[in-house]
Amino acid sequence: MTDFSVIGKSIAMVDAAGKTTGAGKYTDDLSLPGMLVGKILHSVYPHARIKRIDTSRAKALDGVVAVVTGADAPNPYGILPVGHDETALAVEKVRYVGDHVACVAAISEEIAENAIELIDVEYELLPAYFDPVESMKAETDLIHENRAHNIEKDYHHVFGDLDKGFAEADYIAEGRYLANEVTHAAMEPHSTLANFELDPHTGKLGRLTVWSSTQVPYYLQHKLSLVLEMPMSQIRVIKPLVGGGFGGKSEIIPLEIIAAVAARAARAPVKITYTREEVFWAHRGRPRTIIDLKTGVKNDGRMTAVACKVIQDGGAYCSYGVVTILYSGALLGALYDIPNIRYDGYRVLTNKPACGAMRGHGTVNVRFAFESQMDEIAAKLKLDPAEMRRVNLLKPPTVTVNGLRVLSYGLPECIDQVVTRSGWKERKGKLPKGRGLGVACSHYVSGAANSIIRSDMPHSTVNIKIDRDGSVVIYTGASEIGQGSDTMTAQVVAEVLGCEIARVNVIAADTDLTPIDLGSYSSRVTFMAGNAALRAAADVKKNIVSAAAKRMNCAPEDVIMRNDRVWNGGTTLSDYDFTASDSLGEKEAARGHVDGQILRGSVLQTRKEDGPKDHMSFEEAVVAAIDFHGALTGTGSYAPPAAARGGKHKGGGVGPSPAYSYSAQVAEVSVDEDTGEVTVHKVWAAHDCGRALNPVAVEGQVIGSVWMGLGQALEEEIVWKDGLLMNPGLLEYRSPSSTESPEIECIIVESIDPEGPFGAKEAGEGSLAATIPAISNAIYDAVGVRLRESPFTPERVLAALRAKKGMKRIEMTESVDPTAPEKFREHGGSLWFRGKGPMRHPLDPARQGTNAGSPAGGGD
Amino acid sequence: MSLPSFQLLRPKTLDEAMALMAKYDGQVKVVAGGTDLLPSMKQKLFTPPYVLDLRGISELRGIRSGAGGGVEIGVLTSLSTIEHALPIRKDYPVLYEAVKTVASPVLRNMGTIGGNLCLDTRCLWYNQSLLWRKSCGFCLKKDGDLCHVAPGGKFCWAAFSGDTPPALMCLGAEIEIAGPTGTRRTPLSEFYVNDGIARLHLAENEIVTRVYLPESSAGWRGSYQKLRVRGSIDYPLAGVAVALKMRAGRVEAVRVAITAVNPAPFLVKDADAHLVGVVPTEEIAGWVGDLAASTAKPLTTSALTPEYRREMVRVFAKRAVMSAAAN
Repeated sequence: MTDFSVIGKSIAMVDAAGKTTGAGKYTDDLSLPGMLVGKILHSVYPHARIKRIDTSRAKALDGVVAVVTGADAPNPYGILPVGHDETALAVEKVRYVGDHVACVAAISEEIAENAIELIDVEYELLPAYFDPVESMKAETDLIHENRAHNIEKDYHHVFGDLDKGFAEADYIAEGRYLANEVTHAAMEPHSTLANFELDPHTGKLGRLTVWSSTQVPYYLQHKLSLVLEMPMSQIRVIKPLVGGGFGGKSEIIPLEIIAAVAARAARAPVKITYTREEVFWAHRGRPRTIIDLKTGVKNDGRMTAVACKVIQDGGAYCSYGVVTILYSGALLGALYDIPNIRYDGYRVLTNKPACGAMRGHGTVNVRFAFESQMDEIAAKLKLDPAEMRRVNLLKPPTVTVNGLRVLSYGLPECIDQVVTRSGWKERKGKLPKGRGLGVACSHYVSGAANSIIRSDMPHSTVNIKIDRDGSVVIYTGASEIGQGSDTMTAQVVAEVLGCEIARVNVIAADTDLTPIDLGSYSSRVTFMAGNAALRAAADVKKNIVSAAAKRMNCAPEDVIMRNDRVWNGGTTLSDYDFTASDSLGEKEAARGHVDGQILRGSVLQTRKEDGPKDHMSFEEAVVAAIDFHGALTGTGSYAPPAAARGGKHKGGGVGPSPAYSYSAQVAEVSVDEDTGEVTVHKVWAAHDCGRALNPVAVEGQVIGSVWMGLGQALEEEIVWKDGLLMNPGLLEYRSPSSTESPEIECIIVESIDPEGPFGAKEAGEGSLAATIPAISNAIYDAVGVRLRESPFTPERVLAALRAKKGMKRIEMTESVDPTAPEKFREHGGSLWFRGKGPMRHPLDPARQGTNAGSPAGGGD
Repeated sequence: MSLPSFQLLRPKTLDEAMALMAKYDGQVKVVAGGTDLLPSMKQKLFTPPYVLDLRGISELRGIRSGAGGGVEIGVLTSLSTIEHALPIRKDYPVLYEAVKTVASPVLRNMGTIGGNLCLDTRCLWYNQSLLWRKSCGFCLKKDGDLCHVAPGGKFCWAAFSGDTPPALMCLGAEIEIAGPTGTRRTPLSEFYVNDGIARLHLAENEIVTRVYLPESSAGWRGSYQKLRVRGSIDYPLAGVAVALKMRAGRVEAVRVAITAVNPAPFLVKDADAHLVGVVPTEEIAGWVGDLAASTAKPLTTSALTPEYRREMVRVFAKRAVMSAAAN
């Protein structure tokens, strides 16, 4: 194994101090002189035409500087070129409760809030669609006129010969699975601060600077340019610290554009920070999904064919939807060897907040169904579920039937590890009543091989500048969102240059300063920005090495840079000589050579030119290189190789990746048979991340993924009532607390990818998808009930248990059998339009049209 | 979401507080820990012109021995103080069990026993922002004439969601209430109104000042069982408290109370008929469970279906009886 000095070491995140002490600045911490607060008026109807907006009363309120509506920024946009169906503020229609209608910029939050109550909107109500299956039947009042039957996009893929595959099967399993909707619930709510400078020549509004909590500064710059009709060069996007994204900030969220539109109208800086409720409406989470899955297997468990139909309840806008529905199908491949695959995917529009990308994008719900059905098959055929997975392994290097190239493949070792460590063979099926073990696997891309916007440009570029003080400055567009992007970049560069990581300063995600990078999504940063950083460091290292070789009178090949030292490897000096207590660094410090080296460096070098040296400090080498070459800079970029870019079929661009991560997990649970409550005691999670560049960071990502999966498995669920989000807050949307978080034993498997930076692949997302089926399978092992609807809340588990035991039926799950769900359930109770009563509150929307005195819409 | 504007009143003594309450009659909301009131104010459920902050009145803070035995707890005493008070843990274990389940450690540091007693009733259709409620239509409890939980009904089903009152009711606790004409003392079990809007027998110009735990229930064994989705933070979705006095292996006295499944917490009637004089068994405890379940009338005011919550009252009452007897 290669011996590294920075790579493979568990080091603290380079931004840890600011985040842990509170000194770090997130977008909402920023302010500018004269800054205004923006507040947004949202739609109270799920689907309505806007007949009239009157902002005059709001504008007249003391302290209000500007009020903007859809007319102020009518250009449509969207993260995908095929999905430009959003406007920052509603132009003709509102499409969900919470859709953005108008924005007030005022001198205080309270005034802005009061002002939005004074905006009068007259709506014409339209029929609304809340269930995706019902929505697909729509002929009229479509959510977007150019989307027939409210279908955003459907794909029908066949790879191999399905009929032959199923004919060869000894056993075929079929079932419907439902996964309810979840959202990211990142700690930091979205926040944007926008400010225009005056053009020095015209005095008109000139350059725009936007600080925003985003995973994708460059896409934001691009969409701002589109909507504001400004050249990209006139827009600077800066990403301050981001308090978690998980995909919820991986596209342009309305407030990011609204802040700029409001700042333009107000001619003053405007900051908007979403309330937690607004974050839930902005959403872009994981859609409710119906999965109809059919798997054919031989008696030994080998799969012969898989047919999968997926319906995603996408909400009112496209967002990443086309990509989500493609990932759901494409990543049926690349985990196991499946010779024949059919996939039918429907991304459906409904009058609810838009779904988008969320950790494990597109793969998670299908993986829940798939791994559950494997477990059902194993039970039916009396196979060990872990063994069944082993007989279906891929044999890399290979290209799957749907065109995915797999080189490194640590899944076999992942399975071995969790099977061994959990005592699977000895304990499975032999635990006390009510306790069980379940296994499941998952995988994920290390970045998409094809970018969203078709182009030949590199996906990541990194620049490096090294100056006479010996400081190494990295300029990268990659966006640190808490996952360790900056730290990874610093580590890669420090390793290549052989310098201490403390020398390295990362300047990231500022479109004026840093070269373009597509952003932090699809787990692309380590692989792509990491490779770019590697190349940039190698580029700048060339010049240091050649200068050092001249100084040391040796061949460049003999120059070794490591641990902040540079030496002639042709001599007997070794790394060890420099780490002894009388190291060169201390001696030089004592002679005062380190101090003042910046200015006197070349003098010093000249004076010391009394013979060839056999070793130098990092600074000496840098000063020598600058003396020889002038400015010391390097650049490197990365684009995925053509061989990794996938098949030519329609939609074949989504799914291919230069490398895939692999995960296997065993969950140990117990089920309280009186209450249906599931306790997860332990999860063994093995993750193949190629090489672990920073093991503690990898563990953090794997544990975080398992924990997020645990939330979706047991507790988290967006609850709807006729399009109204019943739980838009962290009290009623229940992410697990520390008390029910199990012990997670993270096992890092290093398959060393041939193309990854130092062999690294992704670590941030791939583990999530295995957790949900591992828990579901463990519940089955514990009490013999098969939950096909997630999350496995106590009421669902108890309903299944009582049915299995033949106990008296209690209707606890609103007519949806969690073991054989047909359709999504709705929260009980009723909305206003089902109620009655003549005397309503003046603000009650049900008064519309009945009260001639006040404006129609009643002060909405 | 910003807090609506209000004037903050900060009395140093109870007399000063009563004078302010009289002066701004009917326009004052009382705040202690603020963990319940402040989020609701941000949601514009309350927009009082005056907020009276009790925290400056030091006489209302602390746990003391009662004059005639028992224990006296000032309403400003934080829930975590009660949780960590050894006499409570030793002599009134059901209160200890209940108090340690309230919300989370951070919220228990701020939240007070008085606030937990006077908690507003909760409903998914009510504890929402102004804009959400506009979208849904205003309900009976705030600004409207509808009930989304029981359409067409004129009764508010918002659920009382405090954890400590059922435990205190099992202990026969009394509370002291200060009003314009002096103080009165009432059993806690008579403090609540089974109506999500009326909620409490507490006039607008009255303040709850002290809680009394009687000597007679010191040493009673107890158990509190709470239904929630998360192991922390959550309000109860159902809760059952049992306190009982054992002599020679048999139950000598017992009280059972439930919370979070009705607009008020309730003592379960006739639980003693099953239990007094007997050695508790699973079967007998099950009968108590049936009684408790029949006292519960949960509706769709919260997460988890009403049918499930009611079933859990049955399971938890049974468990609480067995657990209390075994403690």
